[in-house]
Parts: sequence; C-alpha cells; structure tokens
Amino acid sequence: MKRRKFDVAALPAKAGGEIDDRLQVSAPLRRLFNKVFPDHWSFLLGEIALYSFIVLLLTGTFLTLWFDPSMEEVHYNGPYTPLNGIEMSRAYESSLQLSFEVRGGLIMRQMHHWAALLFMASIVVHMLRVFFTGAFRKPRELNWVIGVLLFWLGFVEGFAGYSLPDDALSGTGLRIAHAIMLSIPVVGTWVATSLFGGEFPGTVILGRLYIAHVLLVPAILLGLIAAHMGLLVKQKHTQWPGPGRSNDNVVGVRMFPGFAAKGGAFFMVVFGVIALLGGLFQINPVWLFGPYKAAVVSAASQPDWYVMFLDGSTRLMPPWEARFPLWPGHHYTLPPLFWPTVFLPGVLTMLPLFYPFIEARKFKSKQSHHLLQRPRDVPTRTSLGAMALAFYFVLMISGANDVLAEKFHISLNAMTWAGRIGLLLLPPLAYWVTYRICLGLQQHDREVLAHGMETGIIKRLPNGAFVEVHQPLSPVDAHGHPTELPYAGWVVPKKMNRIGALVPTVKGFFFPVEEAAQRTLPAEAPVSPAPSREGIGSGKH
Amino acid sequence: MSTHTDVDFDVKDPSLTRFDLVKEGARRDGVEIVHYAPRFPVPGTRAEKRVERTIAFMLVLSGLLGLGFVVAYIWWPWKYEPGNGLDKLYNPVLGITLGGSLFLLGIAIVTWAKKLLPEEVSIQERHDVADQAERALTGATILNMVDETGIKRRPLLKGALLVGAAPLGVAAAAPLVGGLIKKPDHILFETAWKPADGHKVKLTREDGSAVRPEDVSVGGQMTVYPGVPHGASNEHADSPVLLIHLREKDASELRANLKNVAVNAEDGGAIWGNFVAYSKICTHAGCPASLYEQQTNRLLCPCHQSQFHITDNARPVFGPATRRLPMLPLSVEDGVFVAKSDFRVPIGPGFWERP
Amino acid sequence: MTFDDSAGAAGPPREARRGRLLASPVRRSRLRRRVFAGLRLVTALAIVGGIYTAFAPGSQAEDTPKLTEAAQLGKRLYDQSCATCHGPNAQGVQGRGPSLIGVGSAAVEFQVETGRMPAARPQQAQVERKQPMFTTEQAQQMGAYVQELGGGPQLPSGDNLREGGDVAKGGELFRVNCASCHAFSTNGGALSSGKFAPSLEPTTDRQLYAAMLTGPQNMPVFGDNQLTPQEKRDIIAYVQFQKQDKDPGGFGLGRYGPVPEGLVIFLVGMVSILFVTLWIAGKS
Repeated sequence: MKRRKFDVAALPAKAGGEIDDRLQVSAPLRRLFNKVFPDHWSFLLGEIALYSFIVLLLTGTFLTLWFDPSMEEVHYNGPYTPLNGIEMSRAYESSLQLSFEVRGGLIMRQMHHWAALLFMASIVVHMLRVFFTGAFRKPRELNWVIGVLLFWLGFVEGFAGYSLPDDALSGTGLRIAHAIMLSIPVVGTWVATSLFGGEFPGTVILGRLYIAHVLLVPAILLGLIAAHMGLLVKQKHTQWPGPGRSNDNVVGVRMFPGFAAKGGAFFMVVFGVIALLGGLFQINPVWLFGPYKAAVVSAASQPDWYVMFLDGSTRLMPPWEARFPLWPGHHYTLPPLFWPTVFLPGVLTMLPLFYPFIEARKFKSKQSHHLLQRPRDVPTRTSLGAMALAFYFVLMISGANDVLAEKFHISLNAMTWAGRIGLLLLPPLAYWVTYRICLGLQQHDREVLAHGMETGIIKRLPNGAFVEVHQPLSPVDAHGHPTELPYAGWVVPKKMNRIGALVPTVKGFFFPVEEAAQRTLPAEAPVSPAPSREGIGSGKH
Repeated sequence: MSTHTDVDFDVKDPSLTRFDLVKEGARRDGVEIVHYAPRFPVPGTRAEKRVERTIAFMLVLSGLLGLGFVVAYIWWPWKYEPGNGLDKLYNPVLGITLGGSLFLLGIAIVTWAKKLLPEEVSIQERHDVADQAERALTGATILNMVDETGIKRRPLLKGALLVGAAPLGVAAAAPLVGGLIKKPDHILFETAWKPADGHKVKLTREDGSAVRPEDVSVGGQMTVYPGVPHGASNEHADSPVLLIHLREKDASELRANLKNVAVNAEDGGAIWGNFVAYSKICTHAGCPASLYEQQTNRLLCPCHQSQFHITDNARPVFGPATRRLPMLPLSVEDGVFVAKSDFRVPIGPGFWERP
Repeated sequence: MTFDDSAGAAGPPREARRGRLLASPVRRSRLRRRVFAGLRLVTALAIVGGIYTAFAPGSQAEDTPKLTEAAQLGKRLYDQSCATCHGPNAQGVQGRGPSLIGVGSAAVEFQVETGRMPAARPQQAQVERKQPMFTTEQAQQMGAYVQELGGGPQLPSGDNLREGGDVAKGGELFRVNCASCHAFSTNGGALSSGKFAPSLEPTTDRQLYAAMLTGPQNMPVFGDNQLTPQEKRDIIAYVQFQKQDKDPGGFGLGRYGPVPEGLVIFLVGMVSILFVTLWIAGKS
C-alpha cells in the first residue's frame, strides 16, 4: 500500500484490517455470516414477536417522555371538552395530554398498544407451531421453558401497561387484580395491602406498576429474549424432513445476504403493519372511559385479549366457597375467585413447563431431535394440543360472553351455562376428533405411497367392474404393481400436478421444496460485475 | 472448527477466484454450498429489468410515503376539535403514510432478496455431540476448585461460612421485603360509614349534598357516598352504596325476607320504609355491582355476571359470587338519610381472614 | 307508577331490528310485511274490542271529563291500538297490559315513538325498539290523552333538550348513573337472562329525557329530584356529543373495547403478516 495516495475504495478493507488486528474477529464473524437458516414460513412466527418487542421499546420510550404515573388529584383543563373541569389523577391527565396535546402522541399510544397485542398473539402462535411440530424436544427443552416464561412475563407486562392510564376500565381491572390477591389463602391480605401500600387503590400502586412496566419486567424480558436467541444460534434451527435433510445438518441459505435481507425486510413489514393498525384502528380510547372512580363501571368490562381467558374462567366458576371453622371464633374463607385466577394460572404455567420432559419419558426418547414432526405423525401430542386449545377457546369466548350475548341476542345466563358445559365437553371431544383426523391423514399418506395417487381416470375391467387408475410413485415390479415406498416424515404428493404430471408444479407457496439435484457450482460467484479478487484482504498486505 | 482446516489451502494462490475463497471459508465453518445459481443467468434481460423497475418503484413510493408522513406530521391540522373535522383524519393519515412506507420498503427488500439474490442451497453440519474428554477435563477442574478451598475437611469454616453468610442474605432481602410489607389491620372490616364520635354518617351525593327520601323515585336507584371529607373520592373506594327505592309490593317482600339474614334484621331492620341500601362493591371481585333491573329486582355485576336478588337481602342467584351484598343499616334523621352504623359484615371480595 | 309493560307483548323485534340495520331491500320488504301483518292483527282486535265497548252496557265514554282537542285525537288512536291490552280507560287488563293511570305523557311518548308500543308478541325477555307505527304527532296526542286521564311525568316542550347542557358535567353523571348498563360507549350491554340495555345510537333528545324520567321496563327511574331537569339536559348533551364526535384514533371498532380489538389483532394484524411470511419463505 502506497503511503501518500489516499484510496477511498481501499478504505473499508483497510478499516476492516485495523479492526481485525485488534479484535481478531474475522473468523467468528465469518462463521456468523455463513450460518445456515432453513426456510419455512412457520419459522418466522417468533420473529414477529421479536420485532413487535422492538416496536414496543421504541414507542414505549416515546411515551415515557410524557406519561406521569402520579395519582395526585388534578382538574383537567384541555382540548377534550367532555372532561373539562373533571377531577382525575395526574396519570389519567397525562394520558389525555399524550393523546390530544402531543403531536403524534395518539398514534404512538395506539401503536404501542397494538404492538403489545401483536407481541402476545405472535408468542401464542409461535408456541403452537413449536408445540405441534415437536420443536421443544431435546435439546431445546430449555428454550421452550424460556418461551413459556416469556409468555407469562408478557402477560404481566401487558396488564401493568394497560393499568397505567388510570381510566375507569383499567381501574376496574386493577380492582379485580386486588381481589385476586386477597383470595390467596393465608397470605392474601398481606400481599394485597403490601403491594397497594394499604387500602385499595391507595396512592402508590401506579408508581410501582410503572417502574415494573418500564424497567423491571422489560429488563427481564430483554434478558430472556437474548437467552432465547442465543440458544437458537447455539443449537441451530430445527428443520422439516426432506431430501438431503438429516438430524445432523441444516439445509437452507446462509445468513448473509439472503436470510438477513429477508429478516430485515420482515421487520419493516411488521413495523408497517403495526403503524397501519395504530393509524387506522382506534384502541383503548381512554377519554371515553373517564377517570377511575370506585363507583363507576361499564357494561362489557373486558381485559385485553390475552387476559380474557382468565376473565372467562372467573365468569364460569360456580359459586363454590370453602369455609374453614378451624376453632371457635376463628373461621377462615377460601373465596371462589382463588381457583380460576390463582390456581388455574399456576397449573397452566406448570403443565407446559414440564411437558417436554413428560413427553420424552412417555415416548422413551433420549436422543436429540433436530427434524420436526408433522402433527399427524404424533397423534397423541397433536390431540393434547387440540384439547388445550379447545379449553382455551371456551374460556376466551366466555371472557367476551356479555358482548356476544348483547350483539347476538343470546341470554347472558345461557352463555354462562354454555361455557360451563362446553368447558367440560369440548376438550375431550377435540381430543377424540383430532386423533381420528391424524390417523386418517396418516393412512391416506401410506395408501398413496403403497398404491400411487388417484388420477381421476376410471377404467372398466373386462368383468364389468370399475376401478380408478392410480399413478404409482415408485417403479413397478414385473406384475405392474408398485413397490411400497417408506414414509419419510414429509409431504406425500397427492395430486397429479404435484409431480408435474398435469401442469407445471406450483412451487413453494406453502412448501419450500428443496431440490436435491446436484448441480455444478460455478467457479465464479454469479454476481455482476465480478470484481477481481485483489480487493479482498488487501488490508492484510 | 479445527476439523475443517486440515486441507492444504493457500489463500494467496492467485489462480483462486473470490468465490473459491467464499467456498473455502464456508467449508471451514462446516457449511457446504451445494447449489448456487444466478436468478438471471443472462444479465440485462427484459425480465430482469422488469424486476428491477418493480423494486425501484416500490422504493420510490416508500420514500414518497415517508415524505408524506413528515409533511402530514407538520402541516396537517392535528389539534383535537369536537365533531367531525380534518383533525380526526390526522391519526389515519399518519398511520397510512408511515405504515405504507415501512411496509413497501419491506416488500421491496424481500422482492430483491427473492428475485435478484442468487438461488442458494447450503448445508451446515451440526456438531452437538458432546466431547466426553472435554467434559471429563472440565469436571475435574470444577472438583479441583472445591478441593482447593478445602471446605470438605474444614468443618469449622463450613459452619462459620453459613453463620456468616445467612444473616447477610437476610439483610439483603430485608429492606426489599420489609419496606413493602404492610399489615392488613382492620381496613378490610371497616368503611367510612362507621359513625365517628357518635355522629351517624349521612348518605350524600357525589357533590356532598345530603339525600332525602323524596329524592329517589319509586323504582329508582342512586349511588351514594359517605358524608365524610372526600367521601366520594377513591380514598374511600370501599364505601360506595346503591340506595334503592322499592315498590310497595317488593318492599314488603324484602321486609318479610329480612329475618333470613340475622344482621339485616337486627336493630329494627336495616331498611327504612321502602328504601334499601346495598354496598356497591361486588362480593366476588370488587367491581361496582350496579346494573339494577327495577322490574325483576335483580342486580347484575358487569365484570363476571354475578346476579343478586334485591328483595331477598341481595342473595346471589347466578354467577360466581357466593356472598350477599352487605346491607347498610338505614335511618332518616332531620329528613335526610343516615347510616345507623357501619356495614355489619365486611364488604367486597372474600379473603382468608373473613369469617 | 311506571309504565310497566312486562306483562304486555313484544313486536317482531329481532328480525325487524336486524332488517333495519342491514337495510337490504329483501329484508326491508319482509319487515314491512310483518309490520303490516301485525298492524292488521292489532286493528282487527281493536275493532272487535271497540264494538264490544260500544255495545257494552254503561259505556264509560260519557263519564270522562272534557278532553282537549289533542287528547280527543289521542283517545281515538288509543281506543284503536292500545285499548285491547291496556283497557278502554287505561286501567289495564289483567294478564295483558298494565294500567296507564299515572304513567304520564312522557312514558307514552317514549314507548310509542320508539315503536316499543304497540307490542305484538308476548312473553319475550323484553320489548325491543322497532319501526314506530305512529308519527311523533300521534304519539304526543296519545300521550296527551293518557296524561289527562291520570296525570304523571311530562316532557318539556321542544325537540332540542340538550341546549344549555354541560357536556363535562353530563359525562360525569352518565358514567356514574348510566354507563353501568349502557356502557361508556353508549352502545348498550347485556343484562340478566336475555334482557339488555339498548344502544343509545338511535335515541333522540326527547326519548332520552323520557327514559330517564319514566324508567321504561327494567331501567331505574331517575326522577327530577334525583337528576334535575338541568342535569338531564347535561346527560343528553353528553350522549349526543359522543354520537357526533368522530373517533380521533381511526376506525372506532364500534367502541366495544378489547373484544373487537382482540379480533382485529388476529384477523387483520396476524393474518396479513402470515400472508407475508408465506410469501417470504415461498420459492420464487
């Protein structure tokens, strides 16, 4: 390299060289660039959660610049005339100011709330994907456990967040949370008075929720997300079975540039969808609800969707109260609220946490699994999942049962009873139906592998019988009978055009079919213009 | 990745192309590029140009929308005005421009990646079989650490360490827990209706004015608060009461039912004339149970749909609530309603110490 | 006394209501057929009843005091459409309809103008709003007749009862007194066993005033001593303000709260993003 000549084109290489001299990063960096990611739409679901979390951090930081979690009583005096002169907490006033007096504040508030709903929605959908494909199996149990914790942390974070504006709806939610704490046996009243600093609502709860919402829980979330992704990188992604794919490799594209470009672009898409939602759909219009007053409530008081299933379980709970007359003059109460709001979430946390280990024990499986399973191939697990989903849906719908009753002119009491009965009947039914469907699908796969696929051509035999002509997938033996192919754990073609018999195959909208065909690799990277290799590593000269 | 560097490979060999280097790098990282082909083997075809134009169009449109966002953000009338003005479109315009811009940028980059980046299939090997030798070495190192401290053969230190560290651990937790912890005391058993210095508490409206019997029509209900300073504020969140004026027929039904609940019947009965007052705080989860149906005499809580029968001491007849709404003992002094005493049972949701 | 019509009957409400909401021509013509069928039935019954009263011994018509002109017109309508259930002199008919003595013109105007009366189908959880059978003027005439028969609460004059109302004060009163059933959004909500608090969307100033004053069906009565006429105006001003104030945050989702918000995040947000994932991961 010549000294006095300043070569701009050589600058990046030179800078790279200087950095590598000091940090020796070229090998680890290249290993990262070359990391291979498999390509399937269902592997992007977790990314939605990650990207909504980033949007939550961005918009949330904006909101903290204006929001004030103080419960000091003030009188509103601002552009929203229907609340002029009304006594309210400073927290509620600052939410109104954020919505009406900060330029663009409303869209930030709405984007923050929509991003929170999307965060939780994508966590749930991602968890379902991981569950139904068996991606939680060894060696990924720990990441599944972290995922379950992330769900509950997101749940707490969301609840704390929508309680902050101190409007009448969130205050109602907080009051129920207080009642839930009270319902805990033995220590309930201590927990409630300690957290609220005395009687409900007191003056400290918003400040405490605020610090939990903006610092404590997000910090834990961030740490767990980092661990979640670190484990993903360390253990490499799972993949579907297919040509060339085994338990010992990952088939896909390298991280740079293909995967990274798509990932970055997908972030833009998720961000864009959240911005569109925040601009076009009004969410949590706190100005309609008014400030929280203990005597104020609205018909159709609901929590956000991810809390709604617990509201539903509370609504369906029969009025069963346990009283313990332990000794004369000392009677104790276990309120019915305890079961659906403390006991049930406890069970719902423990069951998924231990599920991977329980399943491994039941299936006597000790080795590592990197190939995913199609839901139909593990009917027990799939049916258990369907059962859990049915349970969850009944609870969620019951959480909205007053709105549904009013909108569709159904008796509210009938909705409650339908929910109670449905909660007992639908999960076992879902299990049974799913099991049958899984077996049916399995059988059809094996049939096609054994006899070939249906062609729709009907042939009449000399004896007068009609048979359908099958196209075998394998070579036929001397008698014209196809040899039975083994099932490979992946999609079996069932339509003629899937094997290119009728029209060109529509490739990959749903299934990215990797081609196993070996092609000769070009000697030169087919990017144009191809520069000479002198550019590389010039920093090392 | 030491297993991959054993092949003789000279990076300075001038006959190697750059892609040879890429392949070698990938190989050293355990990655084999098995398929690699340009999307457009012949550069400059019409199809390729079309893809380029599409991507460029989306990028420019994304930029325009981004510009539109800034313009709208600055110049669109954004101040809230009642009614149906342009300000009501401020938020949607921001959403469409910002969201559209981001969305299109994303779509453009995906198109770029899908249509212009070379087609590629790479295979990376997994190496997740634990090295038993390494494991043994690390295990020995850890065990050696323990040995080095000699904790096993020095029981005195073991005990002393425990005695020394445990209180410190408690000390660390003490301010965290101790600062928060608060004794429940009697707050769950008392409300602002408790007579202070022998003065019975008046039933008041939100503005503090006293309530007279003629203020509530037959078949009417009124939310009333204790007539104490800040009685209607959240300081006394346990005190809101629903005052109901029953029809004669319903009132006599309630009078007949009063004896079903001992505390409601004592001291001459908790109702006054055809008026009855119930705590508004639901005995289930603490929401204000205030959806009063004046013909069926049911009181519904909107949070979990517990229903209470007004003419039977607010007996829970449906939903998850197990306890009756407590009745506030009513009386009239100098023509205005007062509470004869505090509620005779704790109000609100159940808790462990509740008899 | 309130205008108790629980023993009465309900109209063809559910279909009619939906039909009106959907406003499709097919539905509307079916609605019209049903309304006319109901009308014919009621008229026929009224004629039979009228003939009966005309020939019944000691017809009470002569006993009534001198009626004003509006009340006389109202009486004619009343005898035709209401007397079957509420009795020829509004004293009520056991098992059919309650007495209207003392309910006042406010109750009559509310019930007739919102189409709840005449009700056509008995034994429903509650009588619902439907297309009114009478004009406002006719309803007021009937109101005048019932008023002169037995007295009761009356509405102030004029169609604009929000004038001079303080929206902020009204909002505060609305949240304490009304929102528990009609919801913060004024959209209504469910009550026990199939009953519901209706949406205030189609409700006029006079109807709001009359509802508060008379407590129709299961709604509690808010007499003038509890909510002064000025406070009623405040509440009306607030309700009408909320209906006219467009949502500042975009599409309001019917102001139903977290339920439609949850639907939107899955049906709009999640579905659109899922389509993008299919496209991203798909082979080009």
